[in-house]
Amino acid sequence: MSAYRDKDPRIHGIQSKIRVVPNFPKPGIMFQDITTLLLDPKAFKDTVDLFVERYKGKNISVVAGIEARGFIFGPPIALEIGAKFVPLRKPKKLPGRVISEEYELEYGRDCLEMHLGAVEPGEQALVVDDLIATGGTLCAAMKLLERVGADVVECACVIELPDLKGRERLNGKPLYVLLESH
Amino acid sequence: MHRALIFSSLNPIYSKLSTTTASPDSAVFPKRDGGWIGPPPVFRLQNYKRTLLPPLCSASDSVANQPKMASQDEQDPRISKISSAIRVIPNFPKPGIMFQDITTLLLDTKAFRDTIDLFVERYRGKDISVVAGIEARGFIFGPPIALAIGAKFVPMRKPNKLPGEVISEEYSLEYGTDIMEMHVGAVQAGERALIIDDLIATGGTLCAAIKLLERVGVHVVECACVIELPELKGRERLGDKPLFVLVSST
Repeated sequence: MSAYRDKDPRIHGIQSKIRVVPNFPKPGIMFQDITTLLLDPKAFKDTVDLFVERYKGKNISVVAGIEARGFIFGPPIALEIGAKFVPLRKPKKLPGRVISEEYELEYGRDCLEMHLGAVEPGEQALVVDDLIATGGTLCAAMKLLERVGADVVECACVIELPDLKGRERLNGKPLYVLLESH
Repeated sequence: MHRALIFSSLNPIYSKLSTTTASPDSAVFPKRDGGWIGPPPVFRLQNYKRTLLPPLCSASDSVANQPKMASQDEQDPRISKISSAIRVIPNFPKPGIMFQDITTLLLDTKAFRDTIDLFVERYRGKDISVVAGIEARGFIFGPPIALAIGAKFVPMRKPNKLPGEVISEEYSLEYGTDIMEMHVGAVQAGERALIIDDLIATGGTLCAAIKLLERVGVHVVECACVIELPELKGRERLGDKPLFVLVSST
């Protein structure tokens, strides 16, 4: 499901603020840069509001945000819906006891970590990131939460790159995005 | 408009100055059977009497309108819960370092809300148009503040993370140097900015952020952190730039 398809009037303003930077981080990649969205207070607020309107009052007690751009969108949503914010981080950033989930990159592997004890069994969780591409990172995030017994209600991103079929990689978990980029 | 000073004559903080472990019902990661998940908190941040700084000038305040500085006995009642929600992890990332972990604060919805509110109350209506947040934990506190005060949020990042044109500032670490980057064009000369991070230690990172903003003609009004480690003298390293913190940890 996406707000883009629902044609919420705020979407156009949000979309127009996202900057595409060609050949970053390497040739051939058209990078979707959300930092320009953050420079427009109204568009940034609309972005957060669209998620908050969807998730408020739905008994979601956990918003998990993926380092680092998920840290920008996750906390404002968490604060508004009264949920805790749980950062999901690259290896060795979180102090204390963590659980780790390895996942595949285009070349090689990477790892996502979450604090042990941050989330309790039975909690309802959202996973937030700025963008879903192949879905590898979101998949790892969902697994971390499910391993501790949380129920991932939905994954939420500002942007989806549908050609990379990340939605299919989520094993049937719902995905909600504001915008698509082909 | 003068900000109301909140204080109580009976300061409940003094009864909580010890560093014993918290009782299970106020434990950081409680399990349903009353036990612990993860390491029990070895220490809590001591509740520290924070000197209330005079309210922040807006662009149009004159010196004559400044109220008197508050006395040392006043502390916002929200501070103690914020302080006790922060977990200290010994020997991370290396032996001898007592790491101030704010992730436990983020699990306490009221304390996280209060943290943001304390900054928002200070900075709202002061003509601040830029909140710059330092990667990565500054990304957690900066955006909610920016949204509430109607400012833009500008991420200050490690090298090669920001796409497009950037300016870079090198700064010293204990061993070696690191680099911080900001997007060209994110901020305009003459804008008034805040810099946010979770913690100030030596002040090196904040200093680099100040320089990046000043290089493009921005006026850095204040640096704001949740935690200060005063023994590392970061405040002095900021020179004439004011620093506002919620909690001090010695």
